[in-house]
Amino acid sequence: MSIQLDTTAVEKMKSFHCETKCTWCDGCGDYGIWTAIKRALSELGYSPWQVLLCYDVGCHGNMSDKLNGYRFHGLHGRVLPFAAGAKLANMNVPVIAHGGDGASFSEGVGHLVHSIRSQYPVTFILHNNANYGLTTGQASSLTWQGQPMNTNPNGMAEQTLPSMDFVFSLQPTFVARGFSGNIPQMVEILKAAIQHRGFAFVDMLQACPTYNHFATHEYLLSKCYDANAEGHDVKDFEKARYLATHNADRIATGILYQNEDIPNFYERLVPRQGKKTQAVDEVEKVDISELMKEFI
Amino acid sequence: MSRVSLKIVGASGQGINSVGEILAKGLKRAGYCVFGYREYPSLIKGGHASYQLDIESAHAIESSELQVHALITLNHHGLELNLQDLKENGIVVHQTPNWLLKPEEAALVRQRNIKLIELPVDSILARLGAKPILGNVLIAAYMWAVLGQDKELLKTMVGERFAKKKDLLELNMQCIEEGFAYADPAHGKLSIAVPEPRDIWKDHLLLRGSEAMGMGAVHAGVRLYAGYPMTPSSPLLTYIADVQNKTGMVIKQAEDEITAAQMVSGAMFMGTRALTATSGGGFDLMSETLSLNGITENPTVFVLAQRPGPATGLPTWTAQGDLMLAVHTAHGEFPRCVVSTSNAQDSFELMPIAFNIAEEFQMSVIVMTDKQIAEALYTQAPFDQEKTQVLRGSRLASEDQLPALKPTDRYDASAVDGVSLRWLPGQKAATFAGQGDEHTAAGSVDESAHNAVSQMEKRMRKHEALKATLPEPDIYGDADPNAPIDIVLVGWGSTKSVIIDVLRDPLFAGKRIDYVHYTYLWPLKTELLEKLAASGRKVLLIEGNFQAQLGKLIMQECGLKIPHHIVKYDGRPFFYDELRDALRTVITSDASSSRTVLETPVTHHP
Repeated sequence: MSIQLDTTAVEKMKSFHCETKCTWCDGCGDYGIWTAIKRALSELGYSPWQVLLCYDVGCHGNMSDKLNGYRFHGLHGRVLPFAAGAKLANMNVPVIAHGGDGASFSEGVGHLVHSIRSQYPVTFILHNNANYGLTTGQASSLTWQGQPMNTNPNGMAEQTLPSMDFVFSLQPTFVARGFSGNIPQMVEILKAAIQHRGFAFVDMLQACPTYNHFATHEYLLSKCYDANAEGHDVKDFEKARYLATHNADRIATGILYQNEDIPNFYERLVPRQGKKTQAVDEVEKVDISELMKEFI
Repeated sequence: MSRVSLKIVGASGQGINSVGEILAKGLKRAGYCVFGYREYPSLIKGGHASYQLDIESAHAIESSELQVHALITLNHHGLELNLQDLKENGIVVHQTPNWLLKPEEAALVRQRNIKLIELPVDSILARLGAKPILGNVLIAAYMWAVLGQDKELLKTMVGERFAKKKDLLELNMQCIEEGFAYADPAHGKLSIAVPEPRDIWKDHLLLRGSEAMGMGAVHAGVRLYAGYPMTPSSPLLTYIADVQNKTGMVIKQAEDEITAAQMVSGAMFMGTRALTATSGGGFDLMSETLSLNGITENPTVFVLAQRPGPATGLPTWTAQGDLMLAVHTAHGEFPRCVVSTSNAQDSFELMPIAFNIAEEFQMSVIVMTDKQIAEALYTQAPFDQEKTQVLRGSRLASEDQLPALKPTDRYDASAVDGVSLRWLPGQKAATFAGQGDEHTAAGSVDESAHNAVSQMEKRMRKHEALKATLPEPDIYGDADPNAPIDIVLVGWGSTKSVIIDVLRDPLFAGKRIDYVHYTYLWPLKTELLEKLAASGRKVLLIEGNFQAQLGKLIMQECGLKIPHHIVKYDGRPFFYDELRDALRTVITSDASSSRTVLETPVTHHP
């Protein structure tokens, strides 16, 4: 008697497979995040043609040809406005933006600020390995102060930017933190983030075995715990902020804060109220006779 | 009787725009072609600003004269600064009691036979119990009477303007009566002889180039606009934002120009039509995005509204100094298209064309304008909407093609003209990467030498393919085509309007002057110009920049060195009379080459 095998889920996930070989370092956190993204999209039921994945420049950006889906690999620091523009043009397509800590908290930090305050309906995955990996290990603003890095042989002089405190100061509506060593948890975080009404900020702590010798995989493994499993109420903004910013002993992961009551940017646009079509459906010659009357 | 010019001056915020707009709209409705031109410093209140109206009825005009027939000044500074702007027999309307002219001013007034009259605005308003703001209607009414126009027409217009402020309407009507009463000969008779009005102008639009461009964008099917405020691109953002509830467009005031450029790039990648506009400094910030759109072959349209640089430069003035910027900016080599508007007509018409080019050739199109076009007021025939086409590109995959698409179709380097199939996120088809790294046909990163060569050549073939479809420059000049050409003028952008106006001047009667106007600036077509320049005809370049940048591009592309230049880089547009006189000098000169630098007299420096 043969055993009946159900391969439906496998086939779905396989559709995201791409022939390009991975080029990340052995032990890089991007492998885990890459796997979690494919699984999250599969579990949500998406096919590659139904999603847009946008990448910044950095090690994570090399994911742009390592999975299927419509993808865009743009400029350093600029992924968020590109993703927002794409999303606003077609609200039916989930848009996931990826950026590293280098780009997102230095060159592109203004975009992060305004994406949160604009409440774009976009998922943002911060590939946080606390350094500039692809340019060979320079300090980022999330590197620990005092750490010797490439171009900072005497240790980074500047303060470490308190990224979570900063994000919470902007009144976000979704904040989560994952760890590249915990794929099942990342999958659950990503599924919630992709389905979130507005801007979802997902801080993915990831190992960088080549250049990050302080927050290593082993360090993160020993520190990270699942705050949701410990009963954290994701509606409690102050508690979420406290958990996100007090990391000395333990690092809280999971969905830390979520508020589905705040309309996103698109929902706030008066001209789009009641529109059944998307901006991508509306490109045609528009009669401007009414507009001309204003000028007679 | 030919063109007449009126200039209203005063402090910014004092009401010169109100007076200017009432008179402009009134004169247009009365049957005149009106051209409005504003000068103002980069501040909100104070300074010295002007609003000039040039009117004509026999034919269209789109230029201003330096020397005007009438000056209306809302404060005493106009009496100090602008007397020199008056023609012989000009008139000055002011409202400063007991003003004493300096001896040299009095001499000028005598010499040019200028008439001054004080309109006692404050005392009339006090008698009516009206606020100072109503002085604008009073002044406009007085001028309306001086111009010999119909009082009822003015009342209708002011009624429309104050339709929502019923309490003010009655006072406004009283101001009109008072303005007309003061124009009675008892107070000193002033009048300006204006041409006979013609009905053809009455149904024309009176609008700024920015508004024409905004309507062009709406007409072209633009559904998302992202922008960051910067003069002189801001009026376009303002217009598009003002009509959003009618158009249903997605509007975003972005946090910076990089954001705006990226947002429209994302929206275009997704498959809608999206637009942004900026000026030089903002365009510098967008240039990296331009390069990205080059390699990802993402169709995009950027409006570059010029003002004088470098840096902040002269923020509220005009220039044609960014042609080289538009053609050459951004790193790496990639094809692009640069077009320039010249007036309201083509500010409208070029928007659908720019998007059609962008989508056909999957490249960025830069639409240039400048402060003069963006903010000047044009009398414009209602736009012809019949001939417009919205073409999404012949290589945009049809629904039928989708199932058979392979990822490698997207950037297939074997495309003969370099234009490969394009399809959109959300379409049920094989997926690809829009890739900022050099890439394979599917958008995967590929750093091999052979791939780099084939993808570069694929993209650059689009330059040649586009060039083959672009028209040669337009030729203006209505003289006998068989007559020998006296001179060939070459220009681009807003100078077209003033050149065409000047060519009508009686000074050039009997001359054959051909004006070659470049709308399509990159890729640059030179065949026609080379033909005209052959056989030793005199060729003169007219440009609003220091380097004669179009001349440099022409030389770069075909080796033709244009020997005569009239250039201007003082932030002011070419004025009718100054260009006419400079052109006459060049035509009559025997010199084999010349460079004339025009500088507007000091009174135009508020």
